[in-house]
Parts: sequence; structure tokens; C-alpha cells
Amino acid sequence: MPMSQDQLWYKDAIIYQVHVRTFFDTNADGIGDFRGLAQKLDYLQDLGVSAVWLMPFFPSPLRDDGYDIADYFSVHSSYGNLEDFKSFLQAAHERGIRVIVEMVLNHTSDQHPWFQESRKSQDNPKRDWYVWSDTDTKYHGVRIIFVDTELSNWAWDPVSKAYYWHRFFSHQPDLNYDNPAVREEMWKVMKFWVELGVDGFRLDAVPYLVEREGTSCENLPETHAVLKELRAKLDQHFPGKMLLAEANQWPADLRAYFGEGDEFHMAFHFPLMPRMFMGLKLEDRKPITEILKQTPQIPASCQWCLFLRNHDELTLEMVTDMERDYMYDQYAIDKHMRINVGIRRRLAPLLDNDRRRIELMNGLLMSLPGTPIIYYGDEIGMGDNIYLGDRNGVRTPMQWQGGWNAGFSGADPESLYSPLVLNPVYGYQAVNVESQKRFDHSLLSWMKRIIKVRKANPVLGRGSIEFLYPANHRILAYVRQLDKESILVVNNLSSTAQAVELDLRRFKGNILIEMFGRNIFPRVGDLPYLLTMGPYQFYWFRLRKI
Amino acid sequence: MAEESILTDEFLRQLIDVGEADVLVGVPTYNNAATVGQVVQTIRAGLLKYFPRERAVIVNADGGSRDQTPELVRGASINDLQHSTDLTALRTLHSISAEYAGGPATGTALRTILASAELLRVSACAVVSPESTTIEPEWIERLLRPVYKGNFDFVTPLYRRHKFDGLLMRNLVYPMTRAFYGKQVREPYAAEFSFSGQLASHFLGQEIWTHEVGQAGTEIALTISAITGGFRLAQSFLGAKPHVDARAADLVAAMRQTVGALFWSLEPNFSVWSAKSDSQPIPTLGAAQEVTLEPLRINRKRLFSMFRSGVAELEPVLKSILSSSTLTELQRISALEEDDFLFGDELWARTIYEFAASYHKAVISRDHVVQALAPLYRGRAFTFLVENREASGEQVEQNVEDFCMTCERLKPSLLELWNGRK
Repeated sequence: MPMSQDQLWYKDAIIYQVHVRTFFDTNADGIGDFRGLAQKLDYLQDLGVSAVWLMPFFPSPLRDDGYDIADYFSVHSSYGNLEDFKSFLQAAHERGIRVIVEMVLNHTSDQHPWFQESRKSQDNPKRDWYVWSDTDTKYHGVRIIFVDTELSNWAWDPVSKAYYWHRFFSHQPDLNYDNPAVREEMWKVMKFWVELGVDGFRLDAVPYLVEREGTSCENLPETHAVLKELRAKLDQHFPGKMLLAEANQWPADLRAYFGEGDEFHMAFHFPLMPRMFMGLKLEDRKPITEILKQTPQIPASCQWCLFLRNHDELTLEMVTDMERDYMYDQYAIDKHMRINVGIRRRLAPLLDNDRRRIELMNGLLMSLPGTPIIYYGDEIGMGDNIYLGDRNGVRTPMQWQGGWNAGFSGADPESLYSPLVLNPVYGYQAVNVESQKRFDHSLLSWMKRIIKVRKANPVLGRGSIEFLYPANHRILAYVRQLDKESILVVNNLSSTAQAVELDLRRFKGNILIEMFGRNIFPRVGDLPYLLTMGPYQFYWFRLRKI
Repeated sequence: MAEESILTDEFLRQLIDVGEADVLVGVPTYNNAATVGQVVQTIRAGLLKYFPRERAVIVNADGGSRDQTPELVRGASINDLQHSTDLTALRTLHSISAEYAGGPATGTALRTILASAELLRVSACAVVSPESTTIEPEWIERLLRPVYKGNFDFVTPLYRRHKFDGLLMRNLVYPMTRAFYGKQVREPYAAEFSFSGQLASHFLGQEIWTHEVGQAGTEIALTISAITGGFRLAQSFLGAKPHVDARAADLVAAMRQTVGALFWSLEPNFSVWSAKSDSQPIPTLGAAQEVTLEPLRINRKRLFSMFRSGVAELEPVLKSILSSSTLTELQRISALEEDDFLFGDELWARTIYEFAASYHKAVISRDHVVQALAPLYRGRAFTFLVENREASGEQVEQNVEDFCMTCERLKPSLLELWNGRK
């Protein structure tokens, strides 16, 4: 299947996030690999995704799940080699699936040769590749991100007898982007992978690249300058490639990462995600409409990335204290479920495995403005294991079938990189791809249908949004429009049946066509349009003037 | 023929939009634009501060205001278009308004609020006066929390009042409610109170709505209904009650709403009150009743002269209501000079009981019975003012307590009168 040549391909994409390690193991060593991922591309094609976002697969001591990179130009031996990657990439492209790779710009592993050189002596040519200081008092007051494990953003290096700056774990020293050599080297890294054929990068932790005294050391103009420089080079040499920003910031701060269409193509909408969960629990659209109203306009070529869950905790940094307390009480009453400033749980357990709520949340994901990202396993309702430590509980092996190791690996179960989910409700015997493929009404089959509808309607990826404000606040309703296409989306956030009257007068004369069953609903007239909705029900209607 | 609904279609539509709620604050209004804006904004702040997670709604039952009262109430909503600037709200806060039919009547307003509470299936509902300009956000918490979390069904307020405020309450309504029904509810006729959803349904099922007390005096009827229904009662300290200028208040109307409703309640509740021989305190949350002592100008002379003229002019009426011994004693004290005048506890308690019995027997029009008590009450109020002129807050409270005990002690005389043996 050929890939679209449209340079704005990311606007219509359905992205599937996966870690090579978790997906499929072909050499029975207990760890997923690129050959396995390539074998499962048919599954992803059948699901309907149009891009795969690969989490870090580079050589690494794996003290932070690969976000501690020790070599940017190779593949971790557990996952195969560069040739395996190339084969996978080619196979993906043959199926019309683009590949986005993770790139950690902000820091390296302390095992990276650059850092090993840098720490050797103050005269080392690589010394200035990292941020060193004789004291731990510089940049005083800058927040610590991993509050559960780190006491300071500075760590003492006994080899070099100096402090080095790290915004994340202390084994992840920050690179010094004031040094032109670092910027040039990171461009070389990106160029290397683009020349192999990757379609875009998800750039990790971008707000923290540059430090300045007296600031929060986040979102600084100098950081934006670095990013713009990378984007300009990418556009110049490799048009059509995409940059996706991971910047866990408020919408107003996030806006700057799009620049004037000359920085990132896409950015995650972090503040929206927890508010979708909040709106569902409160049975009130207010958190969602409020944050989207605060969301600034972005350049025409840019796009938000939406997600429900990912490999990290459900971050609660971008909510108020009151909202955070509410989220903890509602979604993470067990302290094991909490980590850093967030909740380490998968989608299905967060929603009490309630199929109606899972569908509603996916319906929102696919119909709100932005490009949706599906976290691997959420399409079948995989569970988690909150007792595994760090965020490993949401990074367990993919559950392919109910047999040996869930069909993930032929290795001894004890040698798997992570225990399988064994819970009777969420365990692989109960939740797996093979069993769900057999039934039209499984979650997997339903996900395929909604993805198909979404892909068939570019208005959902590219259209404008206009909220309707029916008096019933449990109903979240909006119209997506692109050129002459209009889609009305109506969501009942409540656990009970609701009646709602919608003011559709400006669509008078249109008939409503329900987009999943293609059934016709009454024509819009002068009176408020009355809908009755079951618990957590949602409708997508195409508005047609016939 | 089916009884006509008190809820208009428009109001029902608003209730559908609100949906199920956890807590409700009702505000009965009629041309209260001067004060209601401040009151609902404070209610809103209280709901946001103390019930941020609960589904809350403010319900205004309006008697047909011609000022901006309903608009001011609706302005307290927090929704997609109206945001809260002071406190962060997790969810939508509806503030809805309904004009009920039949013209302004507190009872109809309360019934509308009760019906809203039942339809929205709220756990706790508070009623707040649109004139309570001293309201603080904490009032909302102190009213709703004991019901919402504390397992109480009915919560009445305690206020910080001047020692000469609430004279009718201190000299008649409180002591008599307590003596009749055996519960020491300090403010049985209050502008602020709260109740559970269960009690709201119970109230709605009462007979009062087709009677006069269902229009005026409903508040005390609700208190009595909560007591006689065996619901769990508490009283919660709110804070300062705004001073009401006694000269401006219509005493006869107030007597009808309180004494009239109280006397009326004795009929259907005979089996309850006749079995009570003493009274029990109810749980008090927060501070006890507080008394302030700042100087206050009250025209005592006018009270005295109205008492005197009332005793003289109403002699034929009083003859049909009171026993000869009581009337003679009243005539005796009405002849005294102001400095020697004393309308003592025993005589006043006996007088009220004889009025209650006469109301029961309808010796004359029941409304006339209630009206005839007004001038006598003025004499008692005069004595209260004189006796407590120099009294401390504690002394005032002790004097009220002494009178309550007198009422309880003399209650058997009412039973005798009621049964017609005397």
C-alpha cells in the first residue's frame, strides 16, 4: 500500500505507540525485537494505524527504559541490529505505515562515551558537551521533575570532582546546547536516521535543552532557537519529515513550540488528557471545554497530538492542586497506582474495564481536534501491574493469545523482560488479540471500525471545531467542519441516560446520518434538535443537505 | 381532577438540565435585587470552597420580582460561558430561577425548592434568605455538611444576635415550641436551615400545603414536622444575623406566621406534644448562641402604651379567650405605672396556653385569636427589655432559659384546657 505523498500526512495519521521490547520476540530470549515487530506489521495494518512511534531502541544501560541513550547511531543488541531495523522500516513502508522514532535530545546516559570523555578532565574536548559546575547552587529554584527519586537537579561526579546538571534521573546528564558542537552532533544523529528512511521524530523532553540563571530553565527562547535550527535543517534536506514535541506544559507555553510553523509540526496536548478523564468522572463537560478554550490557535501546518494513555504515568502536572487531588482520589486510591506527579495505570483499569467508557474515551480521542495516538495493548483493553515498580506496570508484554507467554515469546516465562499480566480479569488468558479477532463485537474489532471511520473522514483530522453548549452539561457536543463537510459529535459523559436539546438551527434542512450504522436521523428544523442518549453513549453524525 | 403542578414547564426544563445533584441551596425571593446578588455570590463561593467535587445547584424560587432578582441569581452560574474568577471550580455549577404562580408566598417558594430537591435527588438542601447580607461562605458549609456528611436530617441555625433582637423568638416561639414538642431548637422559625433529601420528600407529603401555613409560617411548620417525624436534628452556628428594625416589622404578620402556625400544628400533632413533659437539647455544631450587647435604641414607651390600649380595647375579645383570673391579672398590671410594670413569666406562659386552647376550640375566629395576642406580647416584650436593660449576654440567656422552664412546668394546664376540664 503506497504512502500518501501529502506533506501534511501527520494530520490524518493514526499513530500506534510501541516499544520494540514489548511487542514480539522472535529469538526466544524473552525480549521483543525488530524482527518480531516486522512480523506483526500485518496486525497493525489490519488495525488500521498509519504510523508507528517507536520508543527508544538505541544501545543503553536501560536504567530508564531506553531514555538513557549510550549510542545514537545503533540499535540495542537485545532488539536486533541496524539491518533488522532497516528491514522493519521497509516492511512498514510497504504497508503504508510510517515510522516515527524517539529521539532524546536533552540528555544522554552517563554511560555514553561523550559523558565518559567529558568527566575525565576539565581540559577534555568533550568537557563542554555537558553542564558542569563547581557548586550545586546554580539555577537555584528550578523544579525537580522526578520528585520521587531525585533531591536535586545537580549530581556530584566523584571522577571529575564537579557537579553536573540533570533534569531527570542523575544517571542522565543534560547535554549543553550552548555548545555548537553538541547541536551539530545531534543534527548528525537525526540526519543518520532520516537517511535510513524514518518519517519523523518524537523529540523527548524538549523544554529543558538550555539553562539560564534566574529562570525556570524551561521553554527558554534559546531552547526554541535550537529547535528552530534543527527544523530548518530538516525542512531543507528532508521535506515531509515530521517533528513531534514532548513538552508537558500549559497550552500557552506549548504554543511557542509550533513557532510560526517553523518549529514543531505536532505537540502533545498534555493538559487535555487528564481533563478527559476528569470530565468523565465528574460527568461534566466543563474540564474539557475549558481547556480547549484556553488552547491557542496554532499555525495551519501544525497539529495537536492527542492520547489517552502512554508509557509514562498519567501526568497530573498540568492540572490545579484541586484537580490533582480529585484525580488521585478517583483514579488512584491505592498509593501503588501513583508515581511522581501522576498515575501509572493503563486505560482499561483506569476505566474499571467498562467497555462503554473505554469506547467513549476512544471516541473522544478520535473526534477531538488532533492526531490520535493509541498505546500498544489498549486496543484490546490490556491491564497493568502496579506492583512492578517505576512505570513498568504499563510496559508488560503484548498479549497475542492465551497460550505460552501470551504468544509474545518462546522463552521460559521466568526469562521474560517483564512478567506477563496474570490477573484473571486482565491477564492474557482473558485479554488477547487472538480471542478478540474471533468476534465482531470485541474491543479490538470495535477499534478497527472507529479507526476506519476516522480515516475515511479527513474532517476529523483537519477540520475546525465549534462547541455547542446545550444546557445539559453532561453532554459534550461539537461540530467539526472542513470545507463543505460537517460532522456533529455528541457525547454523553454521564453514567445515566440523558436527554439533550441541541441548537442546530444553522444547519436547518440538513439530515443527520449516523456514521457507524449509516442510519438516517430526522431532518434539522427550527426547533431544538432532541436526542436521547444512553449511558456513556456517543454519536457521530454527518450533516448532509440533500 | 389532578392537582396542578407547582413547577412550570420552563423550570422543569432547567431541572432536567441540572440532572441529579448532591447538594442544593434554595433562595426564595421577591424583589430582592438590592441584596440577592451578594448573597448568591457568597453561596457560590461557599459551594466552590467546601463542596468542590459535589454536584451542586442554586435554585431560586421567585414570587414574580419586577427588579433584576432572577437575573442576578442566574449570574452565579459557572458554565462554559461564565467562569469563576475567585476559586477554581471542577464542574459546572447551575444557578437556576423559577417564577412560581400565585404571587409571592414563602410557602410556595419553599415548596418549589423542596420539589426541586426531591426531583434532583439531592442528599442535602439548604435554604438561605436573600436578605442575609451578613452571610459568609462558611454558612453554606455549616448548613450543608451536617446533613451531607453528618447524618442529620434537619439543621437549624444559631446566630450571633443582639440581646434585643429576636424578641418574639425569645419570648414566645422558642420557649413554646420547646415546651410543646420537647426539643430545644433555638431557632425553630429561621430564614436559614437545611434538610436531607429524605426529609424533603417527607415535607412534601405533609398536609400543610393546602392550609394557610403552607403559604406563610411554613418554616416553623417544617421544623415541627421534622421533630414530630422523628428525624435527626441539629443546630449549627452560622454567625451574625443582620439586625431587623423592629419598628419596620409587621408584628401581626409575624404573629400569624409563627404563633398561628405553632397553634395550628397542635391540632394534628396532639398525640405527640401531649406526651412530652420536658425537653431535650439537640446537638449543637460550632459555637452556642452568641449575644451581643452594643447599644440599641428601642421605643419601649410605645410598646407599653400599645399593651395598655390593647388590654382595654380588646376586653370583649380577651374575655372569650382568657380565663377570668388571667384577664383580671392582665388588667391589673395594665393599670400599673411604667416603672412598676412587670409581665412575669408565669402570667405570660399561662396567657399563651389559654390562647392556644382557645385557638383549638375556635372560640372566635382563629385569626382573631392570634391577632389578639399581639398587644399582650408587646407588654411582655416591654418587661423583657426593662429586665434585661443592664443584663449581660449570659444573664439574658439565663432569663430565657428560666422562662422556658416555666413554660414546661405549666404545660399540664394546657392539657387540662385542651381537654375542656377547666
